[in-house]
Amino acid sequence: MNDKIETPIAEKGMSQGHILDLKLPIGWLLSAYGVLLTVYGLLTKKEMYAISLGYNLNLVWGILTLAIGGGFLLTAFLKKKKKKK
Amino acid sequence: MAPVITLNAIDYAIIAGYILVMILVGYSLKKYMKTGEDFFLSGRSLPGWITGLAFLSANLGALEVIGMVANSAKYGIATVHFYWVGAIPAMVFLGIFMMPFYYGSKVRTVPEYLKLRYNEATRGLNAISFAVMTVLMSGVSLYVMALLFKLMLGWSLTTSVLFAAIVVLLYVFWGGLSSSIYNEVIQFFLIWLGLLPIVFLGLKQVGGFAGFMAKLKEPLLHSIKYLGSSNNPLGVDWFGVVMGLGFVLSFGYWTTDFLVVQRALASKNINSARMTPIIASFPKMLVPIIVVIPGLVALLVLPEFGQAALPGTDYNSALILLMKHYLPNGVLGLAITALLASFMSGMAGNVTAFNTIWTYDIYGTYIRKGQPDSHYLKMGKYATVAGIVISVGTAYIAQFFRNIMDYMQLIFSFFNAPLFATFLLGMFWKGATAWGGFWGLLVGILTAAGHYILYKAGVLSYHSDMAANFYQAIWAWSADFVVTIGVSLFTAKRDPKELVGLVFGLTPKPKTEARWYARPAVWGTLAIMIAIALNVIFW
Repeated sequence: MNDKIETPIAEKGMSQGHILDLKLPIGWLLSAYGVLLTVYGLLTKKEMYAISLGYNLNLVWGILTLAIGGGFLLTAFLKKKKKKK
Repeated sequence: MAPVITLNAIDYAIIAGYILVMILVGYSLKKYMKTGEDFFLSGRSLPGWITGLAFLSANLGALEVIGMVANSAKYGIATVHFYWVGAIPAMVFLGIFMMPFYYGSKVRTVPEYLKLRYNEATRGLNAISFAVMTVLMSGVSLYVMALLFKLMLGWSLTTSVLFAAIVVLLYVFWGGLSSSIYNEVIQFFLIWLGLLPIVFLGLKQVGGFAGFMAKLKEPLLHSIKYLGSSNNPLGVDWFGVVMGLGFVLSFGYWTTDFLVVQRALASKNINSARMTPIIASFPKMLVPIIVVIPGLVALLVLPEFGQAALPGTDYNSALILLMKHYLPNGVLGLAITALLASFMSGMAGNVTAFNTIWTYDIYGTYIRKGQPDSHYLKMGKYATVAGIVISVGTAYIAQFFRNIMDYMQLIFSFFNAPLFATFLLGMFWKGATAWGGFWGLLVGILTAAGHYILYKAGVLSYHSDMAANFYQAIWAWSADFVVTIGVSLFTAKRDPKELVGLVFGLTPKPKTEARWYARPAVWGTLAIMIAIALNVIFW
């Protein structure tokens, strides 16, 4: 005897497909972090970076994070463009 | 006591940005939560890379990261066993061999599989114990997070607890499992971005791997070589490590813990579901980079550890102290956000596992059956609120019990090891009967508990607590295995027609296989080979 709860076929729910492209929030978040860290890195003095062995860690890591965030956004937009064609 | 770390406006901006994104993602998913399947299982619509990363992140919580850094400082490179032996084989096995039954049977939860394969009693035993444990664990880790942030950052306990609870409540209430999964994927990237700076700076300062070899004692540098000797860093022999950790504990966790399995069940098709744990296994192999290296660096660079360390040093503070040691404000905020993200996603994961099992396996089975789906969707939302409230309550109570985390994980382990035997026999032996499953599971749990009591009473003795833990798992699993088979031989068999799709030998093989580069067996084999190679390199 099957007492499993029946799930109706949803037309507008998640099952219509993966609607929120996760690359977008990740891309925006990391890009924002990248910009914030890079700008902060440019504005701060050298003494702060003695603990990170002399490297301006905010600048370096900010640029890296921005690049990764940008990469996600680019992939998301390219995919959208491909779909439109 | 002054906080260890001081955060500035930039750090707080980074934290705020993350909280904002979490709430926005949850809010934007709200309109897609139309059915129970949407809310509890993401409509079974997610692609493999998302479920794979979520699968890994659900496990890679903040406590795991902090704990493993601590273990690395204590045991050295042998800590990799928790990854290369204690995870990869189980993850690959789940994907290749067990997923067809989990996903193919269309069960919505782990206990539901037990109901279909064995009987209601077996499901009830698993559902009730898991629901209770998972919601309590959620509260305990909430407390641990609040305590950590209080000691390290000076945040008030109540503020941390309530703040985290409200944010998690919002995004899980709105977006269900999908919110939880999306958060876990974001957490995955934040953890790497937050911790890699420590890895690079640490390696630079100690002089790379050559520096490790020159300055650390030999047993800390080998994963396998010293396991058989009296210098054994782990205090566990190879049999304990391979069978206890590598087989029972590892498989018991990865193949039956609903918290991780639920992510695979959210996949859009059977191939994605099978690939989920296998996709996860590749980054899993790399996690030692961000936990073992910092642990070893901590020994050489932090005065509290290493040569001058007093016995009974608490290694759990190693990661935070490394952050303070190396990271300037800015990147520091990123690292703290990564920890916060991990804590919160751990809590969200527990809450989504709880609300699903409560709604389908307990409420929908024992309390009110046969209601329309919208009724259960509503129940799911109530259960989310209740789960969070119970967690906050548990967090409050936890502050009066010093080792609460250890007790919780201990009790959890009573269930995982035997459960794996129950699943193994259930999925691969047609002859396992309903009551065989139930009695096997019950006896297994009691064996684990009994073994623990005997160990604590001094009747059983082992080289270390870890050894006791590994052997306890072996005993519990074996008891379950033997009793299940024994009872099955004397009790009524299930009608094979009811077992189609649930067991090997009664499940039709899929007609079309994906192309070779999308096949789980191909990638799974690759993962195992790399894991073996890594074990050889670092032996």
